[in-house]
Amino acid sequence: MSTSAKRSFGSTLRIGLSRYWGVLAVLLAWQAWVSISGVNAIVMPQPINVLTDLVTNPMVYITNGGQTLILAALGLVLGMFLGTIVAVLAWTSRLLNGILVPLGLIFSSVPVVALIPVLARLLGYDLKTVLAIVVIISFFPAFVFTSAGLKALPPGSDDLFKVLGASRLTRFFHLVLPSAVPNWMIALRLAAPPSVLSAMVAEFLMGSSGLGYLFRSAASDFQTERAFGTSVVATVISVLCFTAALGAERRVNNRWK
Amino acid sequence: MRISMEKLQSIVLGAVGILLFLSLWEVIGVNRLAGLTWPPLSTVLVFMFDPSRQALFLRAMAASFSMVAAGYALGTLIGVLTAGLVHVVPVLRPGLDRLAGVIHAIPAIALAPLFIVLLDRELTGMAIATLNVFFVLYVATTSGLANSTVTHRDLFQVLGSSPLTRLLRLDLPAALPAMVSGLKFAIPAAFIGAILGEWFGSSRGLGLLMVSAMQNFQIPLLWSAVFIASAASLLAFGAMSLLERFVYGRYA
Repeated sequence: MSTSAKRSFGSTLRIGLSRYWGVLAVLLAWQAWVSISGVNAIVMPQPINVLTDLVTNPMVYITNGGQTLILAALGLVLGMFLGTIVAVLAWTSRLLNGILVPLGLIFSSVPVVALIPVLARLLGYDLKTVLAIVVIISFFPAFVFTSAGLKALPPGSDDLFKVLGASRLTRFFHLVLPSAVPNWMIALRLAAPPSVLSAMVAEFLMGSSGLGYLFRSAASDFQTERAFGTSVVATVISVLCFTAALGAERRVNNRWK
Repeated sequence: MRISMEKLQSIVLGAVGILLFLSLWEVIGVNRLAGLTWPPLSTVLVFMFDPSRQALFLRAMAASFSMVAAGYALGTLIGVLTAGLVHVVPVLRPGLDRLAGVIHAIPAIALAPLFIVLLDRELTGMAIATLNVFFVLYVATTSGLANSTVTHRDLFQVLGSSPLTRLLRLDLPAALPAMVSGLKFAIPAAFIGAILGEWFGSSRGLGLLMVSAMQNFQIPLLWSAVFIASAASLLAFGAMSLLERFVYGRYA
């Protein structure tokens, strides 16, 4: 019993090491670099000091991180929803499709993050603007991938539905919409990290509240522990969002195929 | 004949869509439907091409585009080399996959303090662009290198070719289409990286123009800077699409 437990612990360790050696190496290199070069703590905090600030001031991180997480998640969901609605609308008419799809492609090939200052000026500096920015940035992948998915029907299935005399509505709900689901999940996974990034950048530029603002004020006051702590919280939130989207994609694909 | 008709139709509709978008921009701006912060397209264009501002825009473009280009080249190099390394030494793959995934999931703003400490402020944009491009190229190249078929690999093995020959003669040509698609999708990622980097305290570039114009309510300047960055990204993306079409015709 104990040997098998030991073996399973050993194999878990080996698997963990084989997967995370890259991340570990980067963290170790950071610690080693700080220790060896002996840079000033104001310039570069030690990981342990960052951890201390995180543990001793939890409320600052929880309120600001919570705000950013809620804005990013809500914006992501709303943007996906809007993108899907517009993709479905475009699917109903060939004219609308021909007009909207190239525009969607153009917008996804430009740096949409650069639109944040324009949107901030247009909509005013407040929380609703941060949300709107995340919605708009999540909209484009949702629209592009959903409209591609609505057209990627399994070969022959469309003819079958026509031969069996299915109505347009039946065809939409039983064939077209389900076949778009895998693409929709790809869009969700692709849009998750940018939604956290754009929420934070909007907060950073407008200086309102949230993680982006926390980072900005910490950096300008030379509170480097706080700045790096903000980075840690932002990374955790972003990795959580990405992992959740990835898990959702895998689960849906398993059920769908 | 029918296919070309369909193609023609989609081109016409696409052009109509772009024209509609541009005229909507103009109409909203002229009638102030979205307030004073939405200038008409014509105002932005006149502002942008005014000879007195040529020097300002050219300087900003030179600064930003050199960061975009350097980050794009460096990210491509590192991404392709790392993908090649894990292809030759597969033991390394899970760890580097995770590392690339974590780097991708970390919002660039969270890395900004690190870059500010480690690098010159002017180079932050290049560093973020490099990371963004690295991720796209690493994923594209690793998936592309898996494209060569088992039969072909066996053939190379039987004929006694070295792993290096196999990589250069078989796996790399098979990976080329995926890599070129990666190069295409890395273009907006490189621009985003460079602009973000300039927002974290650079003293020049289009990103700096955007932020200072936003804070000082210089609306036409703000829109011009965004317009220039978007147009440049779009042009580069279009050029890579052409290359992609050529490579797919040749290698896929």
